[in-house]
Amino acid sequence: MLGANLIQLSFLASLASFLAAVPAAWFEGRSKRWQGLPSFILMIGLLLGVFVAGAQLGSAAPPQFDFSKVTPFAFALKIDRLSAFFLLLICAVALPVIWYSRSYLPRHYDPVKIQWIWALSSLFIFSMVLVVAAASAFSFLMGWELMTLLSAALILVDGTSRERLHNLFIYLVMMHAGAAAVAASFFMFLPVSHDLYFSSLRASGFLLSPGARAAIFLLALVGFGAKAGIIPLHLWLPRAHPIAPTPVSALMSGLMLKTAIYGLVRFSFDFLGGGPAWSGYVLLTLGAVSGVLGILYASGEHDLKRLLAYSSIENIGIIFMGLGASLIFLADQSPAYAVLALVAALFHTLNHALFKSLLFLGAGSIADATHTLDLNELGGLLNRLPNTGIAFLIGCVSIVGLPLFNGFVSELLTFQSFLAGATLHVPAARIVLPLMAGTLALVGGLSAACFVNVFGVAFLGRPRTDAAESAHEAPQGMLAGMSLLAMACIALGIYPRLVLEPLIALAQTLIPTATLPAEFTGLQRLLAPAAVAMLALALITMLIRGRRRVTAPWACGLPGLSPRMQYTATAFSKPIRSVFAAVYKPDRDLSVLPSDHSYFPTAISYRSVRTTSYERYLYRPVTNAVVALANQLRRFQTGNIQVYLLYIFLTLVTLLILLGLRK
Amino acid sequence: MTILIHALQALLIVLGAPLLRGWVSKIKARIQRRQGAAVWRPYADLAKLFRKEDLVPPLASGIFLAAPRIVFCATATATLLIPVFHPAALLGAPGDFVLLVALLALARFALVLGAMDGGGAFGGMGGSREAMVSALAEGPFLLGLTSVAILARSSQISVITGWTLGQNFFDVSAVHLLAFSTLAMVAIAETGRIPVDNPTTHLELTMIHEAMVLEHSGPSLAFLEWAGAVKLSLMMSLLIALFFPWGMADGPTLQAIALSAAAFLGKIVMLGLVLALFESSIAKLRTYAVPDFLGIASATGFLAVVFTLFGER
Repeated sequence: MLGANLIQLSFLASLASFLAAVPAAWFEGRSKRWQGLPSFILMIGLLLGVFVAGAQLGSAAPPQFDFSKVTPFAFALKIDRLSAFFLLLICAVALPVIWYSRSYLPRHYDPVKIQWIWALSSLFIFSMVLVVAAASAFSFLMGWELMTLLSAALILVDGTSRERLHNLFIYLVMMHAGAAAVAASFFMFLPVSHDLYFSSLRASGFLLSPGARAAIFLLALVGFGAKAGIIPLHLWLPRAHPIAPTPVSALMSGLMLKTAIYGLVRFSFDFLGGGPAWSGYVLLTLGAVSGVLGILYASGEHDLKRLLAYSSIENIGIIFMGLGASLIFLADQSPAYAVLALVAALFHTLNHALFKSLLFLGAGSIADATHTLDLNELGGLLNRLPNTGIAFLIGCVSIVGLPLFNGFVSELLTFQSFLAGATLHVPAARIVLPLMAGTLALVGGLSAACFVNVFGVAFLGRPRTDAAESAHEAPQGMLAGMSLLAMACIALGIYPRLVLEPLIALAQTLIPTATLPAEFTGLQRLLAPAAVAMLALALITMLIRGRRRVTAPWACGLPGLSPRMQYTATAFSKPIRSVFAAVYKPDRDLSVLPSDHSYFPTAISYRSVRTTSYERYLYRPVTNAVVALANQLRRFQTGNIQVYLLYIFLTLVTLLILLGLRK
Repeated sequence: MTILIHALQALLIVLGAPLLRGWVSKIKARIQRRQGAAVWRPYADLAKLFRKEDLVPPLASGIFLAAPRIVFCATATATLLIPVFHPAALLGAPGDFVLLVALLALARFALVLGAMDGGGAFGGMGGSREAMVSALAEGPFLLGLTSVAILARSSQISVITGWTLGQNFFDVSAVHLLAFSTLAMVAIAETGRIPVDNPTTHLELTMIHEAMVLEHSGPSLAFLEWAGAVKLSLMMSLLIALFFPWGMADGPTLQAIALSAAAFLGKIVMLGLVLALFESSIAKLRTYAVPDFLGIASATGFLAVVFTLFGER
């Protein structure tokens, strides 16, 4: 037993150092002497967080903190296994991102802005830690709200153009609607629970009526789904993530989305203890839709950061599919496979945090070297940025889920849990779950097509512009951050037991079961020999190297092959876009001048705008209804203070009457 | 002894692959009333390519030379999962068929990257088409495998093979028919045969696989060609293992292994014949009709999984 006090102290010290980074940032802005102080303090805090999380992941005695004596509401923190896992995820992934930022920020921002970014991002990390460590509704909601506001503030640091403000507005509106839903789902517990400590919510979960349980689940789903960016609540994600400073994008996509997964697991598995089978099907369907559509939208993008944002939606979809499968197994009384599916989902959560942060950091390095994120203006970067290129390649291969990298392990586990669906008792589940294996395969295939395009167009071939031609390697600090993440991707891909065993223990605390499916033990028997075989073969093939001669590529025997003749990202994704044209529904606008001579035009202009259908068919009616309602409500707003006093008086009287009637 | 058999069956797939390719070309030539090259010709081609020099485009990166080798390694590793002589393989654990699909995906990923690194116009073209075909083939591939896995109640290829061995050949179920047609269509798409892709085309604009290997030469091209041949024999061995395993040895006796080797050779010769006949009797599809072909494969895969519900459980 590693002194419980030590753990408690380290956790408090870690929280304190996140807060201390704020004045440190202020000092750094004042004098050269304090250069690097905020990031140093922040990294110490993160290391302490990793230590606490690592110790708690294997321990059954969670440290608790209750500050309700000094706060107006019940403010409590507790690090049980689930919290510890997400704490580990946040601290361990934020660490390389911060390391990267140390050298990235001074190259892109002036000292005043850097000061703001350090202060805000340390608070941002603090708020995420608060969310996953919360043990009462109040502390959770406080962290949740802070997280939204601080990330919005971080986006504002990068500029305040009109378009940016519009995107930010959409982000804030959707996040607050989501937060309202989360708050409401907490308050739904109140009839049966006397307070909002997580322990009492857990104890009272079984007292709720089925209707109330369903309502809580749905509200939580809307709230956390909006944060996770599940389709159709994803509208903010591709708008807000790309416009933040790059390290912040990595934190948002890699970590902030995961807090939504945490919330959903906390509600559906911990508080509600599973639920009816339909809740599983809802998650499964949402996940499948988000997976397929997310990656299709990503394939259609050529702005790297937007592409990565869309691919986050895809990965969240895969996680939701795993969670849904787990709920279905739980409802069907097969807890062993429920554990398998839950572990798959949580493992993919960690994996996505690792490789998505890596890819966002890589995008930052590309922007740093070429000043553009448009794939069609890149090319040939691997020769110019070899280390960044290799790290980025590892990120691409991991996110696609190719063997020997971490994405494969979690996708394999998800596949196996779908296959295990064939052992269930309900016929519907026996069909739906195995079919999901096909859906997951489609998502995998499409993401391979998407990321081979990204890497191939950006890093291979010949440079398409001067900017790409004159690119230069990123500095050491940025490379160090990326290589840490890349190494984690490989390590978990070949030796997943590092994470698998704590995750199984964690899943077993949420889903009490003694038996474990054989799939877990088989995994290691498969991965390590495959890795050995691959490496041995690679060594043999490396030995065969003939002479080399440099010649120009084939151009049908004609001279003048220019870099512009290479396929661009847009051209590369064209076959897939045309197969799935029904999904994209582009608004095309083709005008030929002069219009009466369409075969001999003097000028042609073409414009194509994609994926506006959600706005048109889903969001526009909602916003129209809200505006119409607001217009009606305006009649009450006379601006006359006497009338407002009357409203207050009437409300008071009504409430008193209601109270009297209930008595 | 068992380890030796495991190694032998993987080696047979890898080393015999060029022969299978030669056999299919020979039959196709005969159908076209030509004499055709000798069945051993692919070996001579490989030997010639291995002796030649590697031509590298001026601005290519290390990926250009690494990609063909990775393609070969990944494909060859995948053969370790296939049972040939007896229902067991060197690598095997629950869920290994996902590893098989993923290893082939890894090979394809490297292949497309190698193509795009050439810096020419055709590499990207071939890569883009290959990305589409493989993205659409992955779903039916796993659906087909899933349906037979459900029947055999195991997600390990060699266990599925063992289960099928215990069944009566004439007791064939609708699931098997559907899964076989799904996987056969996927195999055609994966290995780039007619009607999805024409392996003997000389017109750049119609190429998929050939456009991707256009820039490669010497040992690199040899690895790519060999990997392509291995993929063909791997897919055929997979079909045999899943649907026609009868004749496989039940014990590690020399006699049983010899018998099963003979049976395997007979079966793969027949499958090669069927492939050649099929390829000779059908025209290549337009590139944009290929998704329809894979759509049919997905539909049969879907039905195969649905029909497992009506099996005896």
